[in-house]
Amino acid sequence: MNAGVGLIVWIILYPLVAFSLGVLLGGYGRKFTARVQRRVGPSWIQPFYDVIKLMGKRTNISHGYMHDVSIILLLGGTVMTLYFVPVPGYHFFGQFGDFIVVMYLILIPSLGMALGVGQTANPNGSIGISRALQMLAGYELTFMLAFIGLAMKHHTTSMYDVILAQQTGGIATWSIVTDPLLGIAALFALQGMLNEKPFEVIMAPHEIATGPMTEMGGKYLGMMFIQHLILLVMELTFFINLFLGGALNWFEYIIKLFAVFTVVLSVNAVYGRFRTDTALRFFWKLPLPLAALGVLGIQFLAK
Amino acid sequence: MNTLWLLIVPIIGFLGSVLLAGSAKKYPAVMKSWALIVSLALIPLSVVAGPSIGAVITGPVVFGSSLLLGFTELSWYFVLMIVGITVLTIFFSVGALRSLTVFPLYYGWLFLKVMGMIAVVLSRDLLSFFIAWEMMSWATFFLMRQGGEKAHRASMGYLAYAVVAGMILLAGTLFVRNTLGTFSFTELSQRFGGADTGILVVALILMLLPMLIEAAVYPFHSWLPDSYASTETSITAYLASISTRMGIYALTVFLFSILGLQVVDRIGVSSHWNLRMVLLVLAALTAVLPTFTALFQHDAKQLITWHSIGQGGYMLLGLASASALGTAGGLFHIFNYLTYVALIIFSIAAVEYRTGTTNLNKLGGLITKQPVAFLGMLFGIIGLAGIPPMNGFVSKWLIYRSLILGGYPFIALCAFLATIGTILSVYKLIHNTFLGQLREEYEGIREVGFWMQAPIWILMVVVLVTGVFPGLILQWVARIQASLGLEVLAYNLGGVSPGEGNLNMIAVIILFLATFVAAWLLFLTGSRRRIVSQYDNYAGGHFLNKNVPYNFNYNFYSAFDHIFDKQYQRAPVKKIERNLGRFISTMADYTRRIFTGQINTYAAYGLLAVLVVLIVLREVL
Repeated sequence: MNAGVGLIVWIILYPLVAFSLGVLLGGYGRKFTARVQRRVGPSWIQPFYDVIKLMGKRTNISHGYMHDVSIILLLGGTVMTLYFVPVPGYHFFGQFGDFIVVMYLILIPSLGMALGVGQTANPNGSIGISRALQMLAGYELTFMLAFIGLAMKHHTTSMYDVILAQQTGGIATWSIVTDPLLGIAALFALQGMLNEKPFEVIMAPHEIATGPMTEMGGKYLGMMFIQHLILLVMELTFFINLFLGGALNWFEYIIKLFAVFTVVLSVNAVYGRFRTDTALRFFWKLPLPLAALGVLGIQFLAK
Repeated sequence: MNTLWLLIVPIIGFLGSVLLAGSAKKYPAVMKSWALIVSLALIPLSVVAGPSIGAVITGPVVFGSSLLLGFTELSWYFVLMIVGITVLTIFFSVGALRSLTVFPLYYGWLFLKVMGMIAVVLSRDLLSFFIAWEMMSWATFFLMRQGGEKAHRASMGYLAYAVVAGMILLAGTLFVRNTLGTFSFTELSQRFGGADTGILVVALILMLLPMLIEAAVYPFHSWLPDSYASTETSITAYLASISTRMGIYALTVFLFSILGLQVVDRIGVSSHWNLRMVLLVLAALTAVLPTFTALFQHDAKQLITWHSIGQGGYMLLGLASASALGTAGGLFHIFNYLTYVALIIFSIAAVEYRTGTTNLNKLGGLITKQPVAFLGMLFGIIGLAGIPPMNGFVSKWLIYRSLILGGYPFIALCAFLATIGTILSVYKLIHNTFLGQLREEYEGIREVGFWMQAPIWILMVVVLVTGVFPGLILQWVARIQASLGLEVLAYNLGGVSPGEGNLNMIAVIILFLATFVAAWLLFLTGSRRRIVSQYDNYAGGHFLNKNVPYNFNYNFYSAFDHIFDKQYQRAPVKKIERNLGRFISTMADYTRRIFTGQINTYAAYGLLAVLVVLIVLREVL
């Protein structure tokens, strides 16, 4: 097959594949949590049914144009960011944006949603956004520091180059083996990025009525669900690409996706929710210093 | 000589404004037209100044060396920015100033300030630099006082710092003249290389301190927020966007053009712990601390002026990292910062024009009433927060990458942390102003007029276009790097060349538009949406109406408040400043007591003085 045609096929299929994987992961997550709580749980592809139902709703309530645009930005921005994330067999857009670009592109959907939620004029939504932004100083900072460590070690800021550097010697050259401190810190950060307990302060259904989603319904909520599922796959892929040596083929990739998500879900299943300030303090007390130690290690070993 | 006209026209503008000041109360239109004409005349002058790069005008000889004015690539970059922002500010002020009764000399000081700044960027020797610097500082001081009693009080803080900075600069100038024998920049750049370390360190401290004060680098920043935020809002935009950046200009010239990178790197205890490291640490503190202070502000102008300190930290981070990426990022960030901060403050001013307040606890929901101001602020905050596709992202990307690859992981972390602080505080700004519940009293307001909208639209276009095509500005930056003898960044229209890293904003924007359209099509597949009133809202079973305030904006970041409240209250710099102020006023009080006002005391002083003179004479003879 011609490389250009292959690329076009990739561009069309990549979001659909990511969405499908997201549906499977989301269904697995709900099933997993249900089994931990000794329930039967919903269907394996329940998120897909949810999306279909929501997109088909006849009543769609909007609070203004920013609200509409925000939901489009949310999904569009997430899919755009997805294209910069390399997966087995695809890394075309990586040449136009490195991991720093990815970390800031991912803020476009968040900002879009924040603006839309602002216009819905619901204090629960605003509180959710305020919490989401404050949490950035916890998990995003930790993840960035872990990434800085890897970038210094391999002297590159490109995600694809980090993957290549890890694939030179099998498991022994995976970052989680060579720099376990960074890996553990990033795993904590991943828990926060995926908004799972104990860092589930943004939605907090019993407290602020699902926060940003309070005034979302119908196709608005449906598109939020789609975005959430794609984001889930994307953020797990960050961790796999940076710390688990990426993946050589799709089989390995999917195994790794489910494995990492199981770790996240296990923690999620047994913990309660932190308060926002407790969650932040936790990040600054444990994962951030761990990452800092890891970076110091890299700096001194390099000399 | 074209460049001299750049100084003469603002002086003409100043003199004209002074003559017109008497009639400004009665015929404000005359004054405004005059200001517009003069500022528009500056545009062609600054644009055609390009060919005179390298030319030097020799002035009269003072203390054995002549005053020199000249034009460099860096000067041209700054002259264009100064002229651009001046024109936009004057455009904006034509709409924003309802009357000139309170500010009869608004345009006069503005033109004096322009003249001072242009003189600073033109001067090629320390003495004319000092003179220009002082003119600029005094014009800033008078410009700050345009805004009533509060502005008068706040401007005194600036005055104290500016006078100290000026005196140190004078001492430094004279010290350099006495030890190295010249004022001229080009001669100094040759002599500093051979100077011994003691002289170098003293000269460095005396020259760097005033520049750090003017650039509002931590811990010399505390004069800025109050004095900038208390003036008329269009002046806030002007001062915040260009005035503070003159300190960065001076630092760039001093570090790279006069000292040179080799000499800068020589000063220190090791190759890692040297002057650049000190500057990097100061810059990191400047980026982080003021940014997080901005979170706790309840006034839009205060909030953004704290950022004007923090963003200076980024410029210094880039410059001090001294790689091709870093210096390009630092220089590019000056331009980006100018565009988006002016845009944000103009939007704030547009809101203030209609609502009469900038208090973030008293606004909200204005998005439907002032959509242009909303868009302006949105573009501005995306730039300020450094999120693609606006220009702020590109310069910050250059700085991050330079710091990571240069081996400064924790400084890079500070840069990321400051960006998070920026995102937090700008969201608070736009949320509390334009989003959330619309208050009843603002239901009747409407968008501002042409004169105020035009600068907002222009800056929006600039912020977006230079974000998508950063090569447009990077080509200037690369020329400046070459002229300063720095490593030159390999750039292309959409970002940097593949050898320097992976960044292409054109690809990003194409992808952005494509995915946006795709998501929009998906949005259209659902059934039609219906726009409802803000009171048709989830309220846990209650009914909402005009009498129910249903909004979350007070104490917006409560978790941070909870964690940092004590640290914020402590504010060590403010405390030192207060104690120093108290000490000086006590000393001044003792000095005052010498002057008792009684003739016999003065007679006794006279007698004492005669005695001292006699004793001294006896010893000498």
